[in-house]
Amino acid sequence: MNLCIRVHFWSFYREMTGTALAEVEVPEGATVSDVVSAVHERWPALAPLRASTLVAVGVDYAEGGQPVRAGDEVSLFPPVQGG
Amino acid sequence: MHRELILTEEPIDERAWVASRAGGVTHGAVVTFSGVVRGSEHGQPIAGLEYTAFEAMARHQFGLLLDRVAARWPVESVRLVHRMGPVSAGDVSLWVEVLAPHRAEAFAACQMLIDEMKRVVPIWKRVMERGNGGSAGRSNQSEP
Repeated sequence: MNLCIRVHFWSFYREMTGTALAEVEVPEGATVSDVVSAVHERWPALAPLRASTLVAVGVDYAEGGQPVRAGDEVSLFPPVQGG
Repeated sequence: MHRELILTEEPIDERAWVASRAGGVTHGAVVTFSGVVRGSEHGQPIAGLEYTAFEAMARHQFGLLLDRVAARWPVESVRLVHRMGPVSAGDVSLWVEVLAPHRAEAFAACQMLIDEMKRVVPIWKRVMERGNGGSAGRSNQSEP
């Protein structure tokens, strides 16, 4: 069974994808890294930025190996620049 | 530790914030920091910067940073104000106040807060170029 994960884009990633929110499907047992890969399949322009892309699940930063669960909200964004 | 975090689209009135500082006889050090938008980026003049945030996560990450401050130093109070939206060159985009018994921990806590904010708090800025009515430019590569 596949999981439907909501993905939020922030900063100029919104312009690159043309959206602030999308849904991607990943297999049950998938990880954060799998979600990112699914995003890159749909928006290849983001793929070259993978090394600098920050990923959060909810309001906490997430490692690539972290499993995702139904209902998780994943966010992708570029390096932060406050101040 | 008292903590206040304000994310605002309104100008930061530094005098008002200083005037509202908590009274007391236990803090021997008051460190404040004002971050001001420079008028140039990479050598080119700019109109200002436009700030955006993933606000729920920004508040959460600021909270975690303040937890670290409280665990590490005997800081009595931190107040932090960060502008959102367009901010003209010359205006204050960030104001931080740290109250502590002694200057060493007040300086250290203030420095750590700002350094770590720039690493983990999801706030972004983009250049507002001059001469196009202040609309946001494409570049997101503003200087630190």
